[in-house]
Amino acid sequence: MQRALLAGLVLSVPLGLVGTWVVLRALAFFSHAVGVGTFPGVVVGLGVPAIGPFLGAAAAAAALTATVVGLERDERVRGGAVTGLALSAAMAVGAVLLTGAFAVATPVEAVLFGSLLAITEADVGRAVAVAVLALVALGIGARRLLTVTFDRHWAAPAGARVVLVDLGLLGSISATTVVALPVVGSLLVSGLLVLPAATARVLCRGAFAMLPAACAICAAEIGIGLALARELDAPPGAVICAGAGATFAVVMLADRLWPGRRGSRR
Amino acid sequence: MSAAITVDGLGVSFGARTALEDVTFAVPAGAFVGVLGPNGAGKTTLLRALLGDVAHSGRLDVERPVAYVPQLSHTQDAFPIDALGVVLMGTYPRLGWWRRPSRTDREGARALLDRVGLADRARTPFDELSGGQRQRVLLARALAQQGRVMLLDEPLSGADARSRELVLDVIAEQCRRGGTVLMTTHDLAEAARVCDRMLVLNRALVAEGSTEDIFTEDVLRRAYGGDVLVLDGRPALIDDPHHHDRSPERLPWSG
Repeated sequence: MQRALLAGLVLSVPLGLVGTWVVLRALAFFSHAVGVGTFPGVVVGLGVPAIGPFLGAAAAAAALTATVVGLERDERVRGGAVTGLALSAAMAVGAVLLTGAFAVATPVEAVLFGSLLAITEADVGRAVAVAVLALVALGIGARRLLTVTFDRHWAAPAGARVVLVDLGLLGSISATTVVALPVVGSLLVSGLLVLPAATARVLCRGAFAMLPAACAICAAEIGIGLALARELDAPPGAVICAGAGATFAVVMLADRLWPGRRGSRR
Repeated sequence: MSAAITVDGLGVSFGARTALEDVTFAVPAGAFVGVLGPNGAGKTTLLRALLGDVAHSGRLDVERPVAYVPQLSHTQDAFPIDALGVVLMGTYPRLGWWRRPSRTDREGARALLDRVGLADRARTPFDELSGGQRQRVLLARALAQQGRVMLLDEPLSGADARSRELVLDVIAEQCRRGGTVLMTTHDLAEAARVCDRMLVLNRALVAEGSTEDIFTEDVLRRAYGGDVLVLDGRPALIDDPHHHDRSPERLPWSG
């Protein structure tokens, strides 16, 4: 439990930082696709010990990201069609592999929703590495991300390398997703990227204020969710995301009932 | 007077489509140039080429730094940023992207908001400003870039009368200080009133020169075809509904 809590609290840094830009760039569907897209990779990694679930998930996330980025350049299938297709295909392939070629001992709900028992020392180490990377990359790139997100037509001639900024953000989403899998699972990891940041969006007036707020909200939701998951003997990902969803609903409702709060917009 | 912008044989293509072909002109420093032409004439493409934002053939020589005001429809709706934050973006390229704006930069940004008549709106969220006020904030951001040359893409489109006057006042002052301004517009009458030079495009250069030489029925008919009327001896454009289009992001049901 202590290891899970440590991993979860460390993960709240990249989840909050990257999640803020996921919300501001409207990339929630893409981040969900990356999470689900890791499913076949995790299954293969569990079935082939030489690969392992981490490498399997990383390879699958990279493949899905490359597919979506490559195919969405075709205007005929823009607007999420490729993302939806990749998501469904990944889920289907994962299910076929799980029931066919790679009958693994790990319960499927642990892959989809996370498990307290599945978190290893190596997972904590990877979480720390991605947290540091996210802090450095998004710290250096914060103003570029801000300008590209707000007004990419101005940002490019003003000196921001728009394609690099986009690829950096997509890479950050993939890396954060992969290291968060052991705690929340492939099906719910996008919830933890989106919900704390969406809650921060309602509470905060400025994009930069959202960053620490999303991290703090995420940390609180992971801490409380892990404790509840242990008490209830339930998958941690499901409990954490249920709590994050409830928190967002309460904050949104309060914002509607008492208009004029900071960050509100109707 | 030296040229702030020199363009020689400029050509821009997007795939098989030619957007601009063999465009050659020079703009003296301190000029206020209206860039005219029908929809699809290549006005925005010309600005993007001058900014170095599109691949092109031919030679471009533009006095740097260049400040830019894109069309308002390109900004993201509902982005959590206030007017002051948008203006401060103009300092980022100069600061090197990772240095935070200093107190002086913030005071400068507030002064620019004051210059565009929005001193009391510094902390107002950008998406709560009117269309004209947003245009003025984007103009203040361009001023914060401290460019020798300023390129404006339809800054008067959709703006209320007060905003139009303020924008034009600021541009005139910029030119008096030696800055060079290129402004695309569909408003021929306004362009004739305020610009001292005109550049008329229709995928190629139709004409370029002083307003009194260019603003003639003959030149405008070559660019706009039958959409030009002559009223009281002055050419006017039959209103083209396309330039009033709102971008898809701004449709009311898109959230």
